[in-house]
Amino acid sequence: MEGRFPGRILPYALLFPSIAVIAVFLLVPAVEALRLSFFEVSPFTGHGTFVGLANFGELVSSEIYRHSLKVTLLFAVGVVALGLAGSLAVAVLASLRLPGFGVYRAVLLWPYALSPAVAGTIWALLFDPSTGPVTVLLRAVTGLSPNWMMDGTYALAVTVVAATWKMLGFNIVFFLAGLQAVPQELREAAQVDGAGAVRVFWRITFPILSPVTFFLFVMNSLYAFFEVFGLIDVMTQGGPGGATEILVYRLYQDAFISARWGIASAQSILLFVMVGVLTLLQFRLAGRRVVYA
Amino acid sequence: MARTLTRVGVVVFLLGVVGLLAAVPPGAAQAPVKITLWHAMGGARYDAITKEIAAGFNKAYPAYTLEPLYTGSYGETVTKAIAAIRAGNPPHIVQVFEVGTQTMLDSGAILPVTEVAKPGDIDFDDYLAPILNYYQVGGKLASMPFNSSTAIVYYNKDVFQKAGLDPSRPPATYKDVEEMGKKIVASGAARAAITFGWPSWMLEQAHAMHNQPYADHGNGRQGRATRVLFNAPFGVEVLGRWKRWADDKLLAYGGREYAPNKAFLSGEVAMLMQSTSQVTTLEKAARFRIGTGFLPRIEGQPAGRSVIGGASFWVLRGKGRSPQELDAIAKFFRFVALPEETAKWHMDTGYFPATKTAVALLRKQEWFVKHPNHETAFEQIQQGPDTPNTRGVLLGNFVQIRNITDTAIEKALSARLSPKEALDEAAREANKLLDEYNRINK
Repeated sequence: MEGRFPGRILPYALLFPSIAVIAVFLLVPAVEALRLSFFEVSPFTGHGTFVGLANFGELVSSEIYRHSLKVTLLFAVGVVALGLAGSLAVAVLASLRLPGFGVYRAVLLWPYALSPAVAGTIWALLFDPSTGPVTVLLRAVTGLSPNWMMDGTYALAVTVVAATWKMLGFNIVFFLAGLQAVPQELREAAQVDGAGAVRVFWRITFPILSPVTFFLFVMNSLYAFFEVFGLIDVMTQGGPGGATEILVYRLYQDAFISARWGIASAQSILLFVMVGVLTLLQFRLAGRRVVYA
Repeated sequence: MARTLTRVGVVVFLLGVVGLLAAVPPGAAQAPVKITLWHAMGGARYDAITKEIAAGFNKAYPAYTLEPLYTGSYGETVTKAIAAIRAGNPPHIVQVFEVGTQTMLDSGAILPVTEVAKPGDIDFDDYLAPILNYYQVGGKLASMPFNSSTAIVYYNKDVFQKAGLDPSRPPATYKDVEEMGKKIVASGAARAAITFGWPSWMLEQAHAMHNQPYADHGNGRQGRATRVLFNAPFGVEVLGRWKRWADDKLLAYGGREYAPNKAFLSGEVAMLMQSTSQVTTLEKAARFRIGTGFLPRIEGQPAGRSVIGGASFWVLRGKGRSPQELDAIAKFFRFVALPEETAKWHMDTGYFPATKTAVALLRKQEWFVKHPNHETAFEQIQQGPDTPNTRGVLLGNFVQIRNITDTAIEKALSARLSPKEALDEAAREANKLLDEYNRINK
């Protein structure tokens, strides 16, 4: 029998602080964004004229916005695929009981402790088109002189790698924890039955890791959509020619550089809907395959 | 949101303090009148504005305190000022780059500088005409000229010498850039010939340098601009030339704003088109001899004049300013306009010595003889006709339009679109923004 509060008011009073925080910082701005998305707003007065769905219509019909959506999807797929594959591989290596593995694990977590701006600066320096060590190396080895300030595909690749690297530590920690939960008996039993290391990994370790993988899949998607703003701002500012202009960056430009609050609000609403649908799909489709052992 | 809360906290705190002050018996020492200045001067210019100018003013006028606050890039500073205007709590003075001029004019939140500074406070006729002309709209000076610049070409004299070129002769035309550039790259003296910062500003400069309009209604100076004109044949030719430089491996595009300075300073690129505000910084950082010259001209195009860039000080009215505050602002402007201060600011940064008396002072000290690179921009701005095309374009939503042209230039240089396609696309987007701006700000 669960306990009950003596009065009707007390539970609400206890809940009030968190509800108030959520209301002030989440609900009110969200509702305000929804309202503004139907207006064309003067930056100085904050007053606007009602334009109905015109802001949304403009976005949907805008080639720039559609391009930005495409870039975002490419970026997210790159970050999630590269991030999960890379960190799983590293985690498996780091879980081997090698001498000094404690040091490795600590070092692997470092990138996550950096702010996006610092991470962006490091990568921007590495790939600087004239003085970056990576550029110099590539030039020496291949004779090519890639300039990511001019080559959009290269710029997107570099930002994907940088964003992935930044998230690597976070992923590895979760995979390492997951790997420790894989029962040794199961693996030994499989080995006794004659399964090789690869087979043991795919048939035993990987399925047991699936809840962790799914969790990281969702987290990395959200990260790729929402949290890479600082990185992009420091590295490319959405350039060259919009090649790395992800939706969040476009939104920032419209809201905080051009003070076009109406259209920026419409973008935030669209982004919210998109990520909501995406997460729902992930739970529906991928979530089914997860084995919660 | 967090900032708003902090502000609320600050207000509550201040109210408490005011309450305490009211309780203090009369005759207690009067606190100095405080005025705030939001600025966007990072790097070496940060020290110049905070340690030299603000500290100097506070020392000269003990009754007043000027509090400078670095509010990020130019674009961010404008946006923050707009947000503060909306919140009814703007700084007394905000430094706004030339691109924000139309926005500030339409904000309804400013006091024209001529209303703040009484006649006799500042001799505006002492200012160089091209600078004054930029900030004068409808015959009225809207803001206080402060850090004015223009673009010039910097070149690496050592590289020129190594390539068998005359190190005392900068490129005068686009053809020079191409011929000299090919020699430089072929000789291996540098990996690329040229780069430039602020790509859209360079496109604006090219228009002004050849007396071409960038937008309709006299470049937005005889009424609000409604259409941009940079996708006309002239603009297409400029971008086409840049594209050819890129194809011939002469141009190493290095990003927006000041990012390409690095390529020039490392000796990888022989020439750099960049703001004159970088003279001091580049000369200090370079491990080679730097030469400067006028922006190269396009053969066969009419003569114009390079256009003013940089920023100026705008007075924000807030919820009304007290006579003391207005006096403090006027005194500050007078301080900035002093020949010694103007000259010092120029020496510290490379921005124009904006007044004739400051120039005279610098000449008397033989500054330009010892620092010829500091004189290049100043000489360049004195040449050519004064027309609406050379006074600088005024556009609503200009910050975003700059972004759009930057994008177009990058798209053309990376061969994703032809120069014409890229500029047409940019013009469509820019015109949409102009329509929206004119609709909202009637």
